[in-house]
Amino acid sequence: MAAQPYGLIATFSDTSSIYHAAEKVRDAGYKNWDCITPLPIHGLDKAMGVKRSIVPRCSLGGGITGFCTGMSLIWYTDAFDYPLIVGGKPLFSPLFAFPVSYELTILFTAFATIIGMFVLNGLPMHYHPVLKYRNIRRGMDDLFFIVIEASDPRFNAAETRALLGAIGGANIEELEA
Amino acid sequence: MEPNASPALLIGAAGIAVVILGVFVSGLHVAATAWLLGVVYWTAMAIGALLMILIHHVFDAGWSVVLRRQYEHGLAAFKWLALLFLPLLVLSWIAPHDLIWPWMNMAHPIANGHTVGTDELYEKKAAFLNLHMLTLCSAIFFAVWIWLSARLRKASFTQDVDGDVRWTRKSRVTAAFGIPLTALALTFAAVYWIKSLEYHWFSTMFGVWYFANCMRGALSLGVLIMLWLYNRGDFKGILNSNHLHSIGQLMFAFTVFWGYVSFSQYFLIWNANVPEETFWYNLREHGDWWWVGMFIVFGTFLLPFLSLLSYKHKVTHRIIRRIALWILFVIFIDLSFNLMPALKDAHGEPQPFLSINLLWSVAAVAGVGGICVWAYLRSFATAAARLIPIRDPRIAECLTHHE
Repeated sequence: MAAQPYGLIATFSDTSSIYHAAEKVRDAGYKNWDCITPLPIHGLDKAMGVKRSIVPRCSLGGGITGFCTGMSLIWYTDAFDYPLIVGGKPLFSPLFAFPVSYELTILFTAFATIIGMFVLNGLPMHYHPVLKYRNIRRGMDDLFFIVIEASDPRFNAAETRALLGAIGGANIEELEA
Repeated sequence: MEPNASPALLIGAAGIAVVILGVFVSGLHVAATAWLLGVVYWTAMAIGALLMILIHHVFDAGWSVVLRRQYEHGLAAFKWLALLFLPLLVLSWIAPHDLIWPWMNMAHPIANGHTVGTDELYEKKAAFLNLHMLTLCSAIFFAVWIWLSARLRKASFTQDVDGDVRWTRKSRVTAAFGIPLTALALTFAAVYWIKSLEYHWFSTMFGVWYFANCMRGALSLGVLIMLWLYNRGDFKGILNSNHLHSIGQLMFAFTVFWGYVSFSQYFLIWNANVPEETFWYNLREHGDWWWVGMFIVFGTFLLPFLSLLSYKHKVTHRIIRRIALWILFVIFIDLSFNLMPALKDAHGEPQPFLSINLLWSVAAVAGVGGICVWAYLRSFATAAARLIPIRDPRIAECLTHHE
């Protein structure tokens, strides 16, 4: 077996204990760790110190790209590549380019949002080391887990194990990488 | 502690006094049009509040319960708005008929030496555009709004006492028929009171445009009221950032909706380029109205749109308050753009935006606004549960509103 494990996993029995444990892991300064819960726990993001997602920035970037694409597409086709007078209108006006730009803004925003979400979550992910843990299915039923990864700069097999024990974690085990 | 309502009444009285002064300085025609602007501005706010409550009930919403009670206080303004609209009707009957709306006077001159009476476009619309119909319809509009408001207020305030869930069901029924009734009333009101100032014009977007302003105004007022109550200490422990996030998202949505509707109206008319429709926008490119139009594109749409994109802006009290105040200001500009160019100078051009007329319109908004805020504060002071509907079945859900 490889020397370096993926990380340590600890079991918690209810929402309030994992909530407070998460606060302590956050305060201990860990970055590469996660909670596995069978249900959404409101406020857990805050307890874990997770900042708001940057997906909206991707969406904004996509939206601006879409808008500019629409404007330049209409300008290029109607006023530059093949100038054509339609309905006595100018060769280019942002007014008639607007519906196209508007649609492309929405389309590119949607693309950027979906792609940004996939990239930031590391999706698609067909395998994850915690899936090897024998009790992981109960994380979808009645148990709560905290996983601290060995890749965390603060990770130390003995100290991290001690921390997980001190904050109320049971069955602390190494996860195979 | 009860808020003091008398400053609001004082501002209202001062505004009304300035508009009356305007009658002597600029004439009854100008002052009455400015007064109409003040009335439609605050009627939009009240309609928006009514729609927010109706939409809340029809969707059986949870998060907006704490907001609802403040809108219910706001509905107390409707009967005063009806009273404040009344002078315009009375003047239309007793003064020269075309005091405000030109189509009332058959001898009113229009282009090329014609009069309204010989105008084919008027004849086609005569069944709709006459003094009797305006009086009857205006009465119906206010009756619809006041009646729905009374039903919703009674259900909500009685539930505070008996805690009966039946009142919630009853309000849901009110909402189901109240939404189409309110929508029809506000559409026809916008067409009658505002659009018919230039009755040659056509736009199917007009009612929707007014609706968008109703919603933007009520949402912004809602934010201001919530923050006011929070700073008084009343809403500490009630208001959380998720409420502000939710209402901010609606402000954003209706900013986009307003932009969509206003742009579509302009774009379709610009694209078709038919003189019967383009004249309305051509008038609004004269003098400083062109700059007002540009301000509307960037200030009424683009600036709120960009600022409301950010999560932080929606939940930071200082920033969302500024955005809400800004939206209330730009609604005034937007309504001015739609109403005031109906006032023409001796050459048939619209009187400029930056003129003494602006003072009368600001005074009218302050005058009607003072009365409306006073009506709100009076309802706020007299209700047993002034802050939130304490026995609403969804109140607990609302107090823990989360993302």
